[in-house]
Amino acid sequence: MSWAVDNRAVKVARMQLINKWTFLGIPAIILTGSFLLSLAVFAVIPVPDAPKYSGAGQAVMWYFFALGIQSLTLTFPFSQGMSVSRRSFFLGTVGLFAVVALVVSGLYVLLGMAEVATKGWGMNGRMFALQWIADSGVGVQFLFYFALMMLLFILGFWFATVYKRWGATGMLVLWLAVGVLLVGLVALVTWQDWWAPVGTWLAAQGPLGITGWSLLFTALLGGGAYLTLRRATP
Amino acid sequence: MSAEIIRVDGLTKHYRGSGDGAPALDGVSFSIEADKIYGLLGRNGAGKTTIMSILTAQGFATAGSVRVFGQNPYENERVLNRICFIRESQKYPDDFNANHAFKAAALFFDNWDQSLAMRLAKDFQLPLKRRIKKLSRGQLSAVGVVIGLASRAELTFFDEPYLGLDAVARQLFYDRLVEDYTEYPRTIVLSSHLIDEVANLLEHVIVIDQGRIIMDDDAESLRGSAVAVAGQAARVEVFTAGRTVIHREGFGALASVTIDGVLSAGERAEAAELGLELAPVSLQQLVVRRTIKGAVDDGSADGAARQGTKQGDTARMEATR
Amino acid sequence: MIDDSKPIFLQIAEMIENDIVDGVLAEESQVPSTNEFAAFHRINPATAAKGVNLLVDDGILYKRRGIGMFVATGARDKLVGRRRDEFFVQYVKPLAREARKLGISSGQLAEMLGKEIDTDGAPGPTERVVAL
Repeated sequence: MSWAVDNRAVKVARMQLINKWTFLGIPAIILTGSFLLSLAVFAVIPVPDAPKYSGAGQAVMWYFFALGIQSLTLTFPFSQGMSVSRRSFFLGTVGLFAVVALVVSGLYVLLGMAEVATKGWGMNGRMFALQWIADSGVGVQFLFYFALMMLLFILGFWFATVYKRWGATGMLVLWLAVGVLLVGLVALVTWQDWWAPVGTWLAAQGPLGITGWSLLFTALLGGGAYLTLRRATP
Repeated sequence: MSAEIIRVDGLTKHYRGSGDGAPALDGVSFSIEADKIYGLLGRNGAGKTTIMSILTAQGFATAGSVRVFGQNPYENERVLNRICFIRESQKYPDDFNANHAFKAAALFFDNWDQSLAMRLAKDFQLPLKRRIKKLSRGQLSAVGVVIGLASRAELTFFDEPYLGLDAVARQLFYDRLVEDYTEYPRTIVLSSHLIDEVANLLEHVIVIDQGRIIMDDDAESLRGSAVAVAGQAARVEVFTAGRTVIHREGFGALASVTIDGVLSAGERAEAAELGLELAPVSLQQLVVRRTIKGAVDDGSADGAARQGTKQGDTARMEATR
Repeated sequence: MIDDSKPIFLQIAEMIENDIVDGVLAEESQVPSTNEFAAFHRINPATAAKGVNLLVDDGILYKRRGIGMFVATGARDKLVGRRRDEFFVQYVKPLAREARKLGISSGQLAEMLGKEIDTDGAPGPTERVVAL
């Protein structure tokens, strides 16, 4: 039984890779493109002392957010036509993305090391080895990138699941709920005058703490997405 | 004789947002036996797609039970991987072309026959490398038909597979279906409202109307089970008195009455003596007339109003023949 | 060729019978397979099989394992004999009824029939239904 399920989940991953562009080609292009573009920008602005930061490393992460949405809205209904259970679809899709995220995270760490070794590509540029995270060691860096990518993908996946199951109304309710929650939290912190302790706590978390919290949040969202998907119709 | 592979009991479905309106399915019960071709017939919106969705665990029932291959199909890979159901409004990934879709189908359907898929795609003149979202309605239907046939799944559903296909392509589908079924017998459920086109292919017929099953019979026992008697209204009345009338039409002094049952040679002779004409009733006419009768039996003003709209549809249904 | 007047399996059986009576299918010759009937008439194979089996049960056709269906020896005589019995009910009775209605005497009727049979001459019916 479980073998049959896992086998179908692997097939789902292979299905997601039938068109290689979606999970492999486009991320590779975004990664290379934003890297080359940043190098070009570094070369144009000559400031020798202070490091030049580029946000280009994020570009591919936002694509992962969109990928999370897309792999649900379009591929889920198709997988239903292929007689795939919701469980296999979830495991196969999220599993495949986890592998992609692992590879890209590794790549980020390697590029970050190269960046440090070449003194910012010889131009004191910073794209991968961001100061506060590069100081934490390879393991934490790797986990940090991985957690961030998973979070964005699952976030997109979960939003799309809610949309699939409850439609535009569900989406609206969800956004309102998130908004109310955030405003409520801010109001609570302000009212109780907790800003100082909150700031201290955040600063104390460091990259490893933030990574941990992201992974926890990702796991919660992933669980929520799975439970929502269990009753979704194509 | 044949093994029962589907058992449906008291299946009811209310769609969210349909308010207090009639349910999409209202206590539907039936069973399906292995290796036969079934026709799931009925008008648009009668509940055909809803039934197939629930049987394949793509949709959810409000009440009632469904057993497929003796088990609940929901999240049950052991049942699901023996089924193929490409819905009429099937969605495909945005970046997929037909080749991609066939590759995916080859992954999931154990009996997939790639050479059959390629042959069918050629027959239907399907552009394999064009993105599916850029295909015409007919080509989109053809993608579904190819997957349905080439999957050779033990239980295959075709959901109005002919939409957008021209007469030649539809005939091609019916021919290939009979051909492949003969070679690889399996259970086929064909949902359709073009009854005349598929009637001869069917071994068993299930007719659904307004979420209820109104006929569930062997196709052969339905054929010739009713007869239309036409002629002078008064004589038609005399001849049909005491019989079960399915449908009645009048044209001034003339009348045509469809009655249930087979006439004996003596009765046929009697009709001839009265100068009445006896005409066979096709499966489609039978279904249409039974469907209309259902509305009349409601008796209420609502029923009469519905009948009005129904007859419009009947005319359209018959016009498509 | 298939119509809605009666079950298809009966129509298939009748087509085969007609071909045997007409001599299109000789005794001990092979009958097209169920699948060939199904594909040709675009009908359900199970229905075609039912029609063929009707004739097997009747002793008109017989099965040779692994080869197919064949017309039994004596099948034609059997069918012709049966049809002669039916002929009276199916053709003579309505003919007589219509003749009475039109005031045609039995003598006139016999004369008409004699003329018609002699001129037409040929034994087989002019309109022949081929099963396949």
